[in-house]
Amino acid sequence: MTNDRIWILLARKLSGEASSTELEELKQLSACSPQEEKTVEEVASWWSLDPGADTDFLEATYLAHLERMKDRGFYLSEHPVVNQEDIVENNLLPVEAKGNFPVRRLLVSAVFLSILAVCWVFFKPLPPATRAATTAKSAEVATRNGARSKILLPDGTNVWLNSGSKITYSKDFDTGLSRQVYLTGEAFFDVVRNEKRPFIIHTAKMDIKVLGTRFNVKAYTEDKTTETSLIKGSVEVFLKSNPARKYRLMPNQKLVLLNDLPADAAEKVVDVALPKAAVSLIEIRPLTYLQGTDTDIESSWTKNILSFEDESFIEVAKKMERWYDVQFEFKNKRWEQEFLNGSFEKESLEQAMKALKYSTGFNYKIEGHKIMIF
Amino acid sequence: MSSLQKNNPDLKIKELQYQVAVYEDETAYKALFFYLFPSLQNFAFSITRSRVLSEEIASDLLLDVWTRRNNLLEIENLKLYLFVGAKHAAINRLKQENKGSRFSLDNLQVEFISDYINPDVSAELHELQEKVALAVKNLPPSCQLIYKLAKEDRLKYKEIAQLLDLSVKTIDHQLSIALKKIATALHIPNSKKNRS
Repeated sequence: MTNDRIWILLARKLSGEASSTELEELKQLSACSPQEEKTVEEVASWWSLDPGADTDFLEATYLAHLERMKDRGFYLSEHPVVNQEDIVENNLLPVEAKGNFPVRRLLVSAVFLSILAVCWVFFKPLPPATRAATTAKSAEVATRNGARSKILLPDGTNVWLNSGSKITYSKDFDTGLSRQVYLTGEAFFDVVRNEKRPFIIHTAKMDIKVLGTRFNVKAYTEDKTTETSLIKGSVEVFLKSNPARKYRLMPNQKLVLLNDLPADAAEKVVDVALPKAAVSLIEIRPLTYLQGTDTDIESSWTKNILSFEDESFIEVAKKMERWYDVQFEFKNKRWEQEFLNGSFEKESLEQAMKALKYSTGFNYKIEGHKIMIF
Repeated sequence: MSSLQKNNPDLKIKELQYQVAVYEDETAYKALFFYLFPSLQNFAFSITRSRVLSEEIASDLLLDVWTRRNNLLEIENLKLYLFVGAKHAAINRLKQENKGSRFSLDNLQVEFISDYINPDVSAELHELQEKVALAVKNLPPSCQLIYKLAKEDRLKYKEIAQLLDLSVKTIDHQLSIALKKIATALHIPNSKKNRS
């Protein structure tokens, strides 16, 4: 190709700089001969080669960068999640350095979270699905699996308690400097605004401070994660493991915390059951919305909807166990990692299992409260 | 990633810029880092020829982004702004380290980093990539730089011109030369391209 004009136009086209006239001109010029056309195609093909980035190295580089930021007094979270959508494609990678950029010594530091906080709450008499107890110092409300309950706290705050959950507060609730409750399990809060008396929820791994807002907290001790999802207002989340650091959530965000790190935490954390949370200890994510609705999955249970999107069967099974008060047993382990989508509103257990089987193909057998998956 | 966003990284940067400025969103900041750090570091490297220096320069630039997050929206074109910053910082460090005479486009040592290419790419593709990489390496320095800024860093012609103090016509010209030379090199088996 000796026609320089073609090369100029081609370069413009590939860089996205060509006007429509120029594109047209390029078309005509390249149509002059099959040779030219072929060359144009070939060039376009290797221009678009994108080997893809090595995100592991970038992660390490980022950690090193954070260390430098710390030296200047900026303490950023080491593991905010980077969604795939946020990584803009770029096939360039930093040139590896040996100097004073501390890439090597920074790997994911293991943070181990422990402690089970339990609480007691004071409460009005409730239907039998909910157990309420009062002691001299505090009161407690608990729900068993298969039941959900709505509670009114002394300050007017509404709390929806999901199955298998317990909430406690002391008699100081109304009089102390702040309003404090303790939660295991899952609850949805609609907190009455009171700037003078912040509302604080304690769970095993995190404390959530609230001014007046609607949000969901999921802190089942047997779960892999503890989550706070914000619908409206604003909350601040403090990790028990690092109280100096606080995370502020905006509406429609949720914070997900891994409860335990696996043994090989020093290397890349790959959790097959939660691939989206694979490399992070703490993540802030947007809420998931049921397709075609404006109901977020995280608090859909308060509307008596059990929903899950792209969750592994084993995680869904946990949800269903609490929802229906049953026990799952995976006879064939391979189904544990099967990804499921669904939402159930009034379906019975049998109907739900039928629907799931239809879309996935596993076999099951229900024996009383036990469900076996083949 | 939606295809619209994939094809328009500038839009994505603007979004992230907004998130950082208004919400002090650390997730967005990290995403900005992932996108900008490699490009900035490579660009700084082409001037300083020092890996250590170039990393520091890029890190300093991104640090600044955080420091001035509350005023971040004042910057119209963040990417270009940072590239210009990288250029100045690199030239200054060069002077400080007495690494040679004045900065000129002909003194550049541009590197096409292939160390971290995704290893899962097919062998065939890999070979093609290597061939292209070699051909690019053999381009004259300023031509090579312009090629990289356009193709990989996805700077616009206007931006490159501004960054390097050149005219858009020169960019047109240099890129056409680059494409021609790479295409020629790919067609000749085992060619050792001569610098012209």
